[in-house]
Amino acid sequence: MLQGALAGLAAGGLYAVLAVCLTLMSRLVRVVNFSQAATGMFGGFVAVWLVTETGLPIWLGSVLGVLLAGVLSGVIGWIAATWLSEADTTTRSAMTVGPLLLLISLSFILFGNKPQPFASIISGPAFTVGGVVISQVTLVTVSLAIVVAVAVRILLTRTAIGTRLRALSERPTTAELLGIPSKPLSIAVWVVTGVISAIAIVVVAPTQSNDAISLAMLIVPAAAAALLGGFKRLDLAVVGGLVLGVLSGLVAQIDEVSLIRNFLPFLFIVVLLLWTQRKEVWDAAR
Amino acid sequence: MSALIIDDIAVSRGAGPVIQGVSFRLEQGRVTALVGPNGAGKTSLLDGISGVAPISAGTIRIDGTPIEKLSRVARAKQGIVHIEQGRAVFPSLTVRENLSLTARTPAEIDAALARFPELEKRIDAPTALLSGGEQQMVVLARAFAARPRFLLIDEMSLGLAPVVFMRLLPIVSEIAEQGVGVLLVEQFTHLALGLAEEALVVASGQVSFQGPAATLREDASLLHRAYLGGAAA
Ligand SMILES: Nc1ncnc2c1ncn2[C@@H]1O[C@H](COP(=O)(O)OP(=O)(O)OP(=O)(O)O)[C@@H](O)[C@H]1O
Ligand SMILES: [Mg+2]
Repeated sequence: MLQGALAGLAAGGLYAVLAVCLTLMSRLVRVVNFSQAATGMFGGFVAVWLVTETGLPIWLGSVLGVLLAGVLSGVIGWIAATWLSEADTTTRSAMTVGPLLLLISLSFILFGNKPQPFASIISGPAFTVGGVVISQVTLVTVSLAIVVAVAVRILLTRTAIGTRLRALSERPTTAELLGIPSKPLSIAVWVVTGVISAIAIVVVAPTQSNDAISLAMLIVPAAAAALLGGFKRLDLAVVGGLVLGVLSGLVAQIDEVSLIRNFLPFLFIVVLLLWTQRKEVWDAAR
Repeated sequence: MSALIIDDIAVSRGAGPVIQGVSFRLEQGRVTALVGPNGAGKTSLLDGISGVAPISAGTIRIDGTPIEKLSRVARAKQGIVHIEQGRAVFPSLTVRENLSLTARTPAEIDAALARFPELEKRIDAPTALLSGGEQQMVVLARAFAARPRFLLIDEMSLGLAPVVFMRLLPIVSEIAEQGVGVLLVEQFTHLALGLAEEALVVASGQVSFQGPAATLREDASLLHRAYLGGAAA
């Protein structure tokens, strides 16, 4: 039981990293980036191809794949900053469905629709507590989620660039009138979140279902986790990711309910929405 | 001393042009009052100059250099600072953070704050928690710290108690004395004309008076006709 819950923690760490990136994107560049996991998936697939077909060392292939994911994300950001800079969040978010579908089809065309032979960068147990094994992958993803959330918080509140990013997110036009370069800064946010998401995906992919759709659709549990923090709070996004991971690890253990595993993020979203809207719902019911 | 030269510009919004055939010079070191009835196009004119709205005709130059094709950010770098209508503070940023957006050094933050002693005890408070007058002080201090060559101010008085506004007005003169060309849009016509050297009246998207502020100040009927779009000068 406990082992099952902890097994879910690796995935939970991945959800948490993606949720932090989604939250950051929503706050800083006014977008719910549906292609957040897809760019990481594509970078990961290219990394696998580089390692298996061209014989690059795993670490080099992974670095190149992660960088590619950052560039792809940057290109999508460039599109948003160039043609949709004045558009509302809904329109900008809808735009990111395009690259999501494009990257899934492209990976079918280039790499087929099978799970990819991801080679593990990290594997094996990290340590054992009370007979329960914590894997290195779990350790790395959970730490990555926490480190990224803390680092982002420090960046936003303690540095000059963070102040500029917050100014841009609050009043983009006013910020530009003060000479704050919105376009390069927002593209940088896309690149950095693209790189971070890809790192998490490349680390976890060897131990998860890693076909194109499963990886690209990690956006669903990530969005559920980000929703816990209202797409604003980084700490709650991390908590949401970890809780969701542990829950799905638990559910997978219990035969009677293991089927709902795939719907868990949706359930999570529905419950959260009902909870946050409860006042309106109750008022309407009266 | 350089000048901002607006030549025959038009600004379109949705349906059609709201500013048409407007030309004037903004000299460094002087205050020009820009007045006119509600909906005349004052805000649209400032938007066209700073790049918030594109201009559909004409040129904008600083000395010889055309800037009308530059982005807002590039125009800001050329020394044009536009204070928008309303309170253009970044609400979650503290007073210090607001100023750090334009000040290059902590000393410049202090210099900008020196004009507003009332802000010093609120320096680490989020600007959302400040009063309207204090917020407008932050906006002015932030603009001052940007060391503009030209400062466009849109209805600083909006929503402020008259005493607060009277407190802020002399600072506009001080900023101009430092060599900044100020374009002051104001509903309180008499106050703006009292402060300014030059005046510009815009009615229905066109300039209906252009000349010394004193001329308008002393001739109420001329001001009245200019508001109605009559007297071109
Ligand atoms: N974003 C917009 N879209 C469409 N029309 C606009 C827009 N902004 C302003 N207008 C129109 O342009 C005209 C000029 O408006 P503008 O705000 O420039 O006037 P103003 O002189 O600043 O008025 P006020 O004194 O009330 O601030 C008005 O008729 C207004 O309805
Ligand atoms: Mg106006």
